[in-house]
Amino acid sequence: MGLRALLGRLAAGAEVPVFPVVGGGARSQIQDLRLRSELMLVDSPRHAAVMIVAGSFPPGEVEGLLQVHDQLARPRRTIRWGAEPVPGLDDALVVSGDENRVVAAAVDAFVDLMTGSGPGEPPLLPDVDPVEWRGVGPYGQGGMGMTGGTPYGRPMAERGPARDGLELDQVPITIGPWLPSLPPGLRLHVVLQGDVIQALEVGPAPLRLLDRVDPFRQALVEPVPIAELELARARHHLRWIAEVLRIVDLAGLSRRALVLSHRARPEAGAEVRRLEAAIARSGLFVMALRGVGRISDLPVGWVARAAGSAVDARSEDPGYRSLGFRPVTTEGADAAARVRQRLAETVQSLELAASAGEARAGGHGVMEDPRGRLEVGSPPPAATLLEALPDVLVGQEWGDAVSIVHSLDIDVEAALREVPA
Amino acid sequence: MNPVQAVLFIGVVLGLGAYLVAVLDRVFAGAPGGLRSGLMWPIRRTAFLLVQRRSETERPDAEAWALAPALLAALAAVGLTAVPFTPSLAVADVSAGIVLFGAAMIIVMVAVFLQGWSPNSIFPLIAAYRFAAMALSFGIPFSLVVLTTAIPAESLSVGAVVASQEGLWNVVRQPLGLPVYLVTGAAVAFWGPFRIPEGTDLAGGTALEASGPTLAVWRIARAGVLVTLSVMGAAIFLGGHLGPVLPGWAWTSVKSVALLTLFVWSGHAFARMRVERFVWFGWVILLPIALVDVFASGIVAL
Amino acid sequence: MGGLGGALVVLLAAAVAALVARWLSTVLEPTTLTVPERVPFAGGVPPEVHAWNRYHIRYYVMALLFLAFDMEMVFMYPWAVVFVKEGIVALVEMLMFILILVVGMVYTWRERGFTWA
Repeated sequence: MGLRALLGRLAAGAEVPVFPVVGGGARSQIQDLRLRSELMLVDSPRHAAVMIVAGSFPPGEVEGLLQVHDQLARPRRTIRWGAEPVPGLDDALVVSGDENRVVAAAVDAFVDLMTGSGPGEPPLLPDVDPVEWRGVGPYGQGGMGMTGGTPYGRPMAERGPARDGLELDQVPITIGPWLPSLPPGLRLHVVLQGDVIQALEVGPAPLRLLDRVDPFRQALVEPVPIAELELARARHHLRWIAEVLRIVDLAGLSRRALVLSHRARPEAGAEVRRLEAAIARSGLFVMALRGVGRISDLPVGWVARAAGSAVDARSEDPGYRSLGFRPVTTEGADAAARVRQRLAETVQSLELAASAGEARAGGHGVMEDPRGRLEVGSPPPAATLLEALPDVLVGQEWGDAVSIVHSLDIDVEAALREVPA
Repeated sequence: MNPVQAVLFIGVVLGLGAYLVAVLDRVFAGAPGGLRSGLMWPIRRTAFLLVQRRSETERPDAEAWALAPALLAALAAVGLTAVPFTPSLAVADVSAGIVLFGAAMIIVMVAVFLQGWSPNSIFPLIAAYRFAAMALSFGIPFSLVVLTTAIPAESLSVGAVVASQEGLWNVVRQPLGLPVYLVTGAAVAFWGPFRIPEGTDLAGGTALEASGPTLAVWRIARAGVLVTLSVMGAAIFLGGHLGPVLPGWAWTSVKSVALLTLFVWSGHAFARMRVERFVWFGWVILLPIALVDVFASGIVAL
Repeated sequence: MGGLGGALVVLLAAAVAALVARWLSTVLEPTTLTVPERVPFAGGVPPEVHAWNRYHIRYYVMALLFLAFDMEMVFMYPWAVVFVKEGIVALVEMLMFILILVVGMVYTWRERGFTWA
């Protein structure tokens, strides 16, 4: 047996390194894959062997998708999770059905790649340099301009004033839409100076919306059981907390929060409190989030409540008032306060769900969804949050910016979903 | 020890240590599966990385990219040579062993910077400058607490430092030393809460563009740095090979594995620190503690 | 043998081993990557400009402070060896030196030298 065959046989038993590409409607499906011990979801396509493309995309070629495919290290294989084809990904292995099917397909594809019985995929984009090399010398030096024309095909960064009176290079770059550090579909046109954001614009999202049943939207038009609303809220919050924990490299606690979101029952309050204690012990608040992204003037749901103002659409609802609902608030207004606020609200939601019985709420065109006030004829709170992003991110160090994006529960898909009149 | 023996010996220690780091890392991550899958995991993972092809970026600094993991591995190895595993077993128990080790661990900054700089890619580049900020902040407290162990020994040789702990270990004599050493040591290996240049926010940072064998060497070398830090920590704070009943090499191993376990555990127990907060932490918290350690230990030694 | 020669041999051997592992993988299975495969990753969209730039190091004040302390470290290595022999004089002398540097550290802290931007 050759060395390659031996290595391949050994490697075939490893966890499958998967790079996820998350389209419309697939965010929680992909998040749940993080609980599967057969897979290892990675942050960079260079570390992956299998790319799983889930969810729906707008018709036509999906920007960046083929580029990410080619950035996967060889040998590689693509799995399309979902029935509709994605233009350009014609050779992908199509899997529809539940999570178990896609995990099995990923494992099979990986074993084939490692043992050499299945061919890896060739690059999909044409092998042409997109930017013509305009240099003079062997390294692109010479020619016009300070940096000697256009070395290596791409121009160099140019200088711009920094806030401390220096003139240093500014790098314009598009980050996303498929960067696992950011919410799926979020595309940021950024100007970086060093590691600090000088300017930022949010680009269009390459996602397609699916029709979804959502108890909060349902509650705009008809009364919905409070227990159902509050359990959905608790599940949303726990999924969000899992995502925040993943970003600060607390994979174990992140999985714990995710498991808890699947088991969010009215009596799970004590487990959430234990999770909160574990999070506090991990130093998340002190080392990673304290003082980051102080926002006190954004009147959106829990962001406002984490800054001490008790705004909550539930206070106006007779169903919630009959249960004696009072909004909880936190002081601080920073990312740490927002995490604490949501943990407290998760416990509160579970308590409400336990005491609600058959009580119903809604039907008046207003409801507090997990992010904030959802009202007929107004943009959804997710859209307000997304709009506020440039203002809060400019001037932030990149790592802090990522923490802020996650602390604001940015969801491009939810922002696109208009509230029907 | 002749050169061939020395190379083999250091290679085996680093190899076993890196393997142990991978196994422990999986245990603390709470991965499912029995003993067998846990013990096989590092082998399977390495095999995968050897099968995977090396990726390249357009116009990288190719020489620097090749050298960075090699430099990290070399620094881990050379740091280990200064430690006596038993009273007679040391590759290079030179008169300035503490300096040799300290220099090797500070030059880790160069290896990490090169690794981040060379692919010509934005996130690794940010990661490189982040680690430079970190290294400038932990460098002084790290060197100070290592140096302080030389005061009672009146020598910079690691062998003499170990010998000076006959009767009382430095962990007791200099109680501030080991905690600062462990914190700054984890930062040297950009491990645990100090995974700042390889954080998820940078999608892997310095390792982002590395795949296949490059990534394997990089990861193993980093584990090697942890091993070197553990073995040296055991020697200068926990009395190295000193101990009753068991032979010297066994005491060295037990103490080193204990510190190694602590390092690996920290990787799953704490959130990743913000880089700005780390700079503040290094200068305003760690540096004064390290200075108190130097002078308090000095007064005790007089 | 022994001494720094042994350390040097180990240093070179480890570096060579790492380089050989990398070289072997290229020799065993040579691959030529296409242009799109070489594009650096930032989420799917190729960059407009090179990543290398005149980087704004926001911690430059702290880096200067490091230089001061690093020079002090140079003096501390021999100081630590002769400390017990020289006694209280060595202690007081180094304490004075360090206190001056600590004043610099506190000043940098007050001037927000440990924060970005």
